[in-house]
Amino acid sequence: MLKREEWLSLARKLDWNFSYTTEEKVFPEGISGSPWLPHSVWKNWEESFKTSYREYVENQHDKDMAVYAVRDAVGRLENVQNLATPWINGLKLHAATLPLAEFTATIGNLRSARFGRDSAWRAMACFGALDEFRHTQIPLLLMHELVRWNAQFDWTHKFYHTNNWVAIAARHFFDELTLGQNAIEFQIATNVVLETGFTNLQFVGLASLAHEAGDYMFEKMVTSIQTDEARHAQIGHPVLALVLKHDPEYAQYLVDKWFWRNWHLFSFITGTSMDYMTSGEQRSASFKEFMEEWIVDQFFRMLDEFGLKKPWYWDIFLDELEVYHHMLYATAYTYRSTFWFDFVLPSPADRRWLREKYPKYWEDLDAIWERIGEHWKSAHSSMDGEIPVQAAALLGFCDLCQLPLSAGSPRNNTANVLARNARNYIFCSEPCRWIFLREPDRYAGHHNLVARVLSGEAPADLKALSTDYFQLTPQTSGKDTYAGRYDWLLT
Amino acid sequence: MRLPLYGFVEGDTIGVLIMADDGESVRSLANKLRAAVSLRVRTDEDMDVLYRGMVLDPSFTLSQARFEPLQRFDLRRKNGVSESRNTR
Repeated sequence: MLKREEWLSLARKLDWNFSYTTEEKVFPEGISGSPWLPHSVWKNWEESFKTSYREYVENQHDKDMAVYAVRDAVGRLENVQNLATPWINGLKLHAATLPLAEFTATIGNLRSARFGRDSAWRAMACFGALDEFRHTQIPLLLMHELVRWNAQFDWTHKFYHTNNWVAIAARHFFDELTLGQNAIEFQIATNVVLETGFTNLQFVGLASLAHEAGDYMFEKMVTSIQTDEARHAQIGHPVLALVLKHDPEYAQYLVDKWFWRNWHLFSFITGTSMDYMTSGEQRSASFKEFMEEWIVDQFFRMLDEFGLKKPWYWDIFLDELEVYHHMLYATAYTYRSTFWFDFVLPSPADRRWLREKYPKYWEDLDAIWERIGEHWKSAHSSMDGEIPVQAAALLGFCDLCQLPLSAGSPRNNTANVLARNARNYIFCSEPCRWIFLREPDRYAGHHNLVARVLSGEAPADLKALSTDYFQLTPQTSGKDTYAGRYDWLLT
Repeated sequence: MRLPLYGFVEGDTIGVLIMADDGESVRSLANKLRAAVSLRVRTDEDMDVLYRGMVLDPSFTLSQARFEPLQRFDLRRKNGVSESRNTR
């Protein structure tokens, strides 16, 4: 019987010359990606894991067994019911936005498994596809048991099948990142920027907060997923190195574009979870501190080693790090009835902590929470429940990231309008406008929620929009976690 | 003619969609925006309406002020955010 080292290189590196067609037809640029280079340039493509299929299956089986063991021990309904309520609602946010997005990465990886430019790349992408399928199935399995207790967990599966505004934004992101993407851009955007950069916020930062919160099932789930990501993320690095060598401007563009797109989406998903949906005593660090360690320091050090520059919008990013997810959370709190999970009003202690961590703009943000608190006090003496403390006007959305027009600061919102082909587009920030203008044909045809309302596709009334278009019900639509009855607000 | 516009109030966290009519006044537009954001920010003080960098006469109609659909307009406090907070 052959030893592993005798057959592995042949199994991983099995490319051949085409006799009845051309390389250009087998790997068309539109789906394999740019720059189009002959295989002779790609033939030394390599990654360090060099896994065989047998090893892959054995390892994944062991990892799955470990996850199931933890589920049996600490992942039952009664364990989740004992967690802090704000944390459980952060769990609903993650459960909805990420598992089915992982499934789209299955498709992106399968495209690379066919159209990647070297056989070792294609073999690794096959494992990546199987990984992502696992990352879909595990949270679906774990959250399914919770649906009978709390109907909002049904959005774990339902979310991407709705036109909820967050789903529109997340689909816009993942459709481009994974579903409609060529192999080269997919690997750089997904493996390098998302998985080497931003998922560290989930796998390291949020996992450590989960531990502090006592959510050992979530901690185990994401750390198990992380071991897969660490392997298949390696696909992107040699792809980036070759693109950088042959078209450095394009490589820089792809990293800059996807960094910004990731930044906005994860500010909402992870930033708000860390700073608002994790209880004060369980916060070991702020979102900004996690970002500084894992993105500003480690990720950009890696890009520097590649020879890439910081993005042109670096100063804008650093400024947003102080304020963007706070703008989003304050906005979202007042529009909570358009979500599938509940929100918590930051307490005076939370606000003191936030002021300490985010001094630059907190005074203006604190005034908003003070104002909302005043509305709650008035609402307590009325019979209208939460209605006086809910916004009613339709919010505006960025025509690139599809998130609310909440960039800049309370004193200087950076939304800007672009007139193009007899239509006005609005962007929350200069980098979103820049990305749109680099590839206008890719983005111009998309209809954001406002366009859908104006065309009559979606109702203009926010209540009807939530029920008829977002598919929320009185049972599932977001509320204040404590119905505004906070001890510190009542005294 | 129906005129959808994005309104921003100084001190707020979001721009909101305001449905206006080109025959209505700038003052009426400003009042709609004040009502839309009052949950988050105080709006009971003197504010200027800005459009394309210009302070508008509140008595102008939106048509006279040459508003275009899906453009941005702003409400800015005459005294600024900090001063307004200090006078509460």
